Amino acid sequence: MSTNSTSEVMIELDELTKTFPGQSVPAVDKLSLTIQKGEIVVFVGPSGCGKTTSMELINRLIEPTSGRIILEGEDVTDAQVDSLRRRIGYVIQETGLFPHRTIAQNIATVPGMIGWKKGRMDERVDELLGLIGMEPSQYRDRFPKELSGGQRQRVGVARAMAADPPVMLMDEPFGAIDPITRERLQNEFLRLQAQIQKTVVFVTHDIDEAIKMGDKIVVLKEQSHIAQFASPEEILSSPADDYVSDFIGQGASLKRLNLTRIRDIEMATDTPTGTAHEELSTLRQRLAESPWSTMMILDDQHRPMRWVGGRDLNRANAGEDIAKLGLPATATVEPQATLSDALNELITSNGGVAIVVDGSGVFQGVVDIESILTAVRTMREENSQFYLAQKEISEAID
Amino acid sequence: MDFLDYLSRSGDNLFELSLEHINLVLISMGLAILIGVPLGITAHRKTRWNPIILSGAGIMLTIPSLALLAIFVPIFGLGAPPAIAGLTLYALYPIISNTVAGLQSVSPAIVKASRGMGMGSWRRLAKVELPLAWPVIITGVRVSTQVVVGIAAIAAIVGGPGLGNEIFRGLRSLGSPGAENLVYGGTLAVVIVAYLFDAAFILIRRFTTPRGIR
Ligand SMILES: Nc1ncnc2c1ncn2[C@@H]1O[C@H](COP(=O)(O)OP(=O)(O)OP(=O)(O)O)[C@@H](O)[C@H]1O
Ligand SMILES: [Mg+2]
Repeated sequence: MSTNSTSEVMIELDELTKTFPGQSVPAVDKLSLTIQKGEIVVFVGPSGCGKTTSMELINRLIEPTSGRIILEGEDVTDAQVDSLRRRIGYVIQETGLFPHRTIAQNIATVPGMIGWKKGRMDERVDELLGLIGMEPSQYRDRFPKELSGGQRQRVGVARAMAADPPVMLMDEPFGAIDPITRERLQNEFLRLQAQIQKTVVFVTHDIDEAIKMGDKIVVLKEQSHIAQFASPEEILSSPADDYVSDFIGQGASLKRLNLTRIRDIEMATDTPTGTAHEELSTLRQRLAESPWSTMMILDDQHRPMRWVGGRDLNRANAGEDIAKLGLPATATVEPQATLSDALNELITSNGGVAIVVDGSGVFQGVVDIESILTAVRTMREENSQFYLAQKEISEAID
Repeated sequence: MDFLDYLSRSGDNLFELSLEHINLVLISMGLAILIGVPLGITAHRKTRWNPIILSGAGIMLTIPSLALLAIFVPIFGLGAPPAIAGLTLYALYPIISNTVAGLQSVSPAIVKASRGMGMGSWRRLAKVELPLAWPVIITGVRVSTQVVVGIAAIAAIVGGPGLGNEIFRGLRSLGSPGAENLVYGGTLAVVIVAYLFDAAFILIRRFTTPRGIR
């Protein structure tokens, strides 16, 4: 989650209303909302409540029946629509990549329309491919059908960011992807967002995703009426009404595991590590000097390979390949993964710990269930103190 | 008289007539594409016009081909022009309907994404919709061409060029020795021309379809 020191307004929606032709009730009814620069605001709500319509009113894919849209202080309700849209990145669930154009051409769509020079476009394409973790030389000239679903979705995000728009609209961008890839894309996007600090409007119908991705969450009910507009913490700990608490559903406390990320908690970095090239005696000594019963064998790029114990080292001494001994180093998480992700991994892991690696898979440390529980305990105390204080203040005012 | 004998003596003549025939088809198809694709685009974009355009072009196919060529004689006189006009009308329907079908087959998500990125509607048409609809459109053109190659043989009746001249010369003198050879020879040449066009389309389609959608 980003911290915005300045609280500049990026988008302001003023009583935005859309009534589709031939319908008696509006699909979006007097939606008013202020979105600060640099934050991710998630629209969440049940199917048909008007999330997509509300979002598409912002870039005027749907023209409002009444109300105003203010972008960076400028009223754009009647502005030239194509140039408005080129200032707003747009990502949809089905990606909408152009199948007949290469990945590079796809990404360069908006820069091409606003007249960038070829050299600048090529540079930007490579930069973006790098940002989304796809080797430019390998992917630049491929076609969308030659990518996996997850990669296509990444390219969709890169394409939306190409001309560096201040605002991004994302309509269920990770909705059609398997849970594991989805989690990775979410984490990747959060990592990216920490660098680029875009103002993002993100639509989902999944409250867990909303909690994970949002700096703020807008819980919507039918006709895009706002049930609550608040931070994820506040939505979880003090839902505005029954509608919101019903929508959060069971296990609000479990969902709070989605609020904290690995990088925010203490991780153990004293795990003994070694590589397969090192002398066995060195390894054995390192293990013996540490309080740990197993050590982590890393590959040449410092990526986790195996957990090995003292007995495995003895067998290696007898000639067995150390890279095949012990247990595989499964259950890896990245720093921006949530505690919930880590817990999931932990449960199925070999060592009872989740291994933390950075974006390129380099070993950082490990977290165990104790550190997660500690973090949850602290969080609960902080939160309850905060809301007790808030409650007292509002009661005092009343 | 032996058919092979006939072929060896009339080979040059048949070749000339085949070139005329091909020319006639190319001109008519060129016009049909110039008229049909824009009509297809209009039918796709202005849905109100869709039924008028499609049924209008469809009706052309119900007019007997002989009549369709003949109605232009009072306007253009005898010769190539009435033939070209009639063949062009005949060719329209598959081109229009495939243009519409091709444009409709472009996924709504792609259209939405391009609108959302600020692509104006003409740019979208040129850069996205037409390239994606292209394989379907070219298939329509190919179907049209096959029909037109056959019907072009009737052009001779309105004084037009092409292989029809050989066929009708044979038909007129049917009964005299060797007349049937003219009919067979002309028809055989039409079939060969049709085959050549088809082969050309397979190549054209292959080389003009963008790699990403092949
Ligand atoms: N083009 C349209 N014409 C008429 N009605 C529409 C149109 N688009 C949406 N609606 C209606 O507006 C309401 C809101 O639809 P919208 O697509 O915004 O919902 P949503 O919250 O995005 O739902 P979902 O989670 O299923 O995507 C629905 O009742 C829908 O039927
Ligand atoms: Mg939707």
